[in-house]
Amino acid sequence: MTATQGIGSPATDKGPAIEIEIRNLSKVFGDGPRAFKALDDIQLDIRQGEFFTLLGPSGCGKTTLLRLIAGFEQPSSGLLQINGKAVAGLGPNRRPVNTVFQNYALFPHMTLAENIGFGLKMLGKSRSEVASTTQEMLKLVKMDAMADRKPAQISGGQQQRIALARALAPRPRVLLLDEPLSALDLKLRKEMQVELKRLQLETGITFVFVTHDQEEALTMSDRIAVISGGQVLQMGTPHEIYNFPAERFVADFIGDTNFIDAEIVQYEGDFAQVRLPGGVVREASLPEGFNARVGETVTVVIRPEHASLTERGDLQATVENAVFFGTDTHIHLRLEDQTPFILRRQNTGVSVAPPEAGQHACIAVAEGGIQVLRS
Amino acid sequence: MDDMAGNKTEQATEIKETPKRHLWNWILCAPALTVLVFAASGPLLIVLVYSFLAPGSFGGITWSFSLEGWFRVFFSRDIFDPEIVSLNTAHLTIFWRSISLSLQTTIICAILGFPTAWFIATRPQHTRNIWLFLITIPFWTNLLIRTFAIQEVIRNQGLINTTLIRFGFIDTPIQMMYTDFAIFLGMAYVFLPLMVLPLYAAMDKLDIRYLEAGYDLYASRWQVLRHIILPLVKPGFIAGSILVFIPSIGAYVTPRLLGGGRSMMLGNLIELQFGQGRNWPLGSALALTMLVLVVGALVLYIRTVNREEEPRHG
Repeated sequence: MTATQGIGSPATDKGPAIEIEIRNLSKVFGDGPRAFKALDDIQLDIRQGEFFTLLGPSGCGKTTLLRLIAGFEQPSSGLLQINGKAVAGLGPNRRPVNTVFQNYALFPHMTLAENIGFGLKMLGKSRSEVASTTQEMLKLVKMDAMADRKPAQISGGQQQRIALARALAPRPRVLLLDEPLSALDLKLRKEMQVELKRLQLETGITFVFVTHDQEEALTMSDRIAVISGGQVLQMGTPHEIYNFPAERFVADFIGDTNFIDAEIVQYEGDFAQVRLPGGVVREASLPEGFNARVGETVTVVIRPEHASLTERGDLQATVENAVFFGTDTHIHLRLEDQTPFILRRQNTGVSVAPPEAGQHACIAVAEGGIQVLRS
Repeated sequence: MDDMAGNKTEQATEIKETPKRHLWNWILCAPALTVLVFAASGPLLIVLVYSFLAPGSFGGITWSFSLEGWFRVFFSRDIFDPEIVSLNTAHLTIFWRSISLSLQTTIICAILGFPTAWFIATRPQHTRNIWLFLITIPFWTNLLIRTFAIQEVIRNQGLINTTLIRFGFIDTPIQMMYTDFAIFLGMAYVFLPLMVLPLYAAMDKLDIRYLEAGYDLYASRWQVLRHIILPLVKPGFIAGSILVFIPSIGAYVTPRLLGGGRSMMLGNLIELQFGQGRNWPLGSALALTMLVLVVGALVLYIRTVNREEEPRHG
């Protein structure tokens, strides 16, 4: 992964430039015995123009990290650079960063147009520039017909658009989004996901998006940092995070997962041969920096959609039940050592009958579908 | 904050006005309405009638129609020749002093009350009640006693003057008692909590995120105060101003004890007419004039405030 990429080397030499550079960043709230370490030694590089997501459960520190970048909180220790400049001690009004708040925080006493123009006005832009940029932003979020309404007169989804327009209007280098979609209903959320992605591509601004919704993170992000307990557990593209989770927490938090005990038979580089329950030996990928020992029992991850029912499989199991979801069917099984196992079968044809409960079944795992976890 | 806007209108239409509910509402209101009608509107009506009657020789009224009471509010007649009429400058001075001192009191209460309320509103939740409690403590003591206490502080041999003389800053005491300043000081002290409490209520509801959003959008501390905090706590200022201005203009005890006979306010003038002056119709007319003044000031104030709120676009 890229966590160590930027250390000690100028970040701008190769690939996209680094927009936000975070080194050994910690944040402690309170002091003495009641001190709480919200962020613990964070290392992150966020690249220019990317859609970067901080993903984690509530209370993991992701919002604290966002607030540190925004300037609402100051770090206890460590380095935070935006566009190559250390921003420690600078207030939010002196950083080229704008925030979309969780509940939008639109100024209730101002019209939508005044809300959007506020940042530009504070930056001392001329009246005509404020007016024209406001118009442009209203058009960008398709709200130009409602410029003179107050925030209380529009719906949640519309408030969301205005909050976006308000934060984008001053053309920040970085847009911070604090769970902006969590207050919307499912349908609107899907719409806004597309909308956000469109805005990010159109404006080219770096987006740092905070969410606890793994699906949202997977569909929208260029890269994801999974955070738990104030630490970055893994960073990578949605593909890397999903298919090659390094830790149990990451695997469990993102998508449905099967955890199975396996024994390492031999290993080389990033790959190992592991013996699955029942004796079959298969190839599995190892997480970065993993110190494998032959004979060691490890936990491996198999995604439900990477497994299928066959005549002659890698694992032997008994069917417990099958749940029909329309596009696919989830088949719940139990391995011989009583480990539960979920398998997802896509319903490609109508004639495929679900297996019956109690039936014996063989599970085949697709090539590359086994990932060893860090213990 | 949770479900802003969207659901508000739906919730509002849910409560339906059925005839039964309507009747029940009236029954619930009845005790308060009765008190209002008999204790407020009744006496007011009597005062209105009295103002159009002639004064009795030893106080009270005689039942004959007269406009003299209203006439005397603004004009005075020569003692020897009642046909010679001049503007009653004494009354006008008192009107002016009442309005001016009440306005000053309201303004100083707003200026002092804002940081006080802000201080309380930004304390941790569990300590706020203690601060609010401290603010209301003066209400526990009798107004007379509090006013005498102020006398002790500002009179010629009082705390301030003796201290200043002791340390050689001044030779002769500064005359503070029986001046407009003394009334102003007394009223500001007495009415300050009436400004702090509604301001606190408005600030308590203020979402800290609005301030963060302001800072985030490049506003300085001063700009956040001017463009976000002040407009959002405006309802608190309005309520506080009304609560301070109205009792100020009718204040009686404070000007009586601190202003003496020299600095009179409307309340004292009215009392004088019902007491020593033995001119009840004039007293009634003065009371009603004050009422008109207050209502007029309120209408003007609320109109100005609302005009500012109209959207400036389109």
